[in-house]
Amino acid sequence: MALSKIRSDSMADAAIQSNRNFVINGAMRVAQRGTSVTGLGTNSSGTYHTVDRFLVFANNTAGRFTMSQSTVTDLPGFANALKLDCTTADTSIAADEYILLGTRFEAQNLQSLKKGTSDAEPVTISFYVKGNANATYVLEIFDNDNSRTINKTFPVTSSWNRVSITYPGDTAGSGLGDDNEIGLQLVFWLHAGSNSTSGSLQTSWGAYDQTKRAAGISSFVDSTDRTLEITGLQMEIGEVATPFEHDANIETTLRKCQRYYYQVGYDGDNNYFGAGGVYSTTAAMVMLPLPVEMRAAPTSLYQSGTASHYGSWGNGATQVCSAVPAIRGSSSKTTCAIDLTFSSLNSATGTYVYRIVDASGYLGVHAEL
Amino acid sequence: MSYSIMKTNEDNEVIYQRTDADGLVRLTCLSVNPEFQAWLRANKDSLPNDIQAKIDAGELTIADAD
Repeated sequence: MALSKIRSDSMADAAIQSNRNFVINGAMRVAQRGTSVTGLGTNSSGTYHTVDRFLVFANNTAGRFTMSQSTVTDLPGFANALKLDCTTADTSIAADEYILLGTRFEAQNLQSLKKGTSDAEPVTISFYVKGNANATYVLEIFDNDNSRTINKTFPVTSSWNRVSITYPGDTAGSGLGDDNEIGLQLVFWLHAGSNSTSGSLQTSWGAYDQTKRAAGISSFVDSTDRTLEITGLQMEIGEVATPFEHDANIETTLRKCQRYYYQVGYDGDNNYFGAGGVYSTTAAMVMLPLPVEMRAAPTSLYQSGTASHYGSWGNGATQVCSAVPAIRGSSSKTTCAIDLTFSSLNSATGTYVYRIVDASGYLGVHAEL
Repeated sequence: MSYSIMKTNEDNEVIYQRTDADGLVRLTCLSVNPEFQAWLRANKDSLPNDIQAKIDAGELTIADAD
């Protein structure tokens, strides 16, 4: 085809539309930690459980729910959703109760929003949502750097619907720091007491006011019939929701998620995760290489909670650990340093390789926002 | 769930552990870990003795919330 046959406006459109979604894992494809966790609803200031990049907050509620990565068969273009399923109802709502679902953005990735300037950009947030019945919830943008919020309601029905909400640019405040800390959070308000609902909903950007964050919402835990599924979450600059931008492949999404959390699990008998040296006949250290540079040096390490799920091979023998693996402060953005403890290593010299020896074992390196 | 001191390693770093409701330790962390710090802030008036001792000795600091 001659070059003259290619429409220049199409080329321009394609260029503008690529990489427009600020949300990582908006199609809910990656769930490194697992696909389902029950009994959520206990107090949490923000904990990641299943689908990567999405965390749950809860305070003082008796409501309990399951969070899962669900399989979607009735929404063309999507294979997964993030699903919440109420398992214990709470209809006596104390003032300080809440249940929230959120995702966080690094401030340095939001500079194009021009927040806090006269040129501040509007954003449109779109997503597909489905419940068991009609409901109304709030989607808030929370500016961590300036303690400012904007909050808008959205409807849920028992069918998949695409919600699109446009938020104006915020010309006030000091903008977002060009750093690797939290800049903005998207917060889905699903249940709240009067401390968060007694004011008028703050539908324009304004200073943080707890009473104005969730006015007018229903409660996700008013009945054990309640379910909520969300997928195709997109936040983009502009006043129009464009089609959801899928990553090119699962590897792309996984790598984006691994900047914040990396989990290595059991993958058969040869599941060696690293090599290292020994300090003594009981103490060893292994350096776990990280597949992408993490947001920050990790400060915590998750594992299965059972020491015998981890072991070493060296001097011709396999041994299992006598304590659970522990993080070391010498971890960096590219390598996680891990302590392994044994009752007695075969030798206090030489190189050992370390492995996960049980299907329930895993190591989770955490540098989440 | 609750936190306690797991050990002091060869680099003289204090490592903390989170014990879940079923008694298993699924998380180890450094003192600056945000989740641990949030727990410290939420429980600052009723901390376990080993952690309170670290704070009293000036060896552990509860950071302000973001």
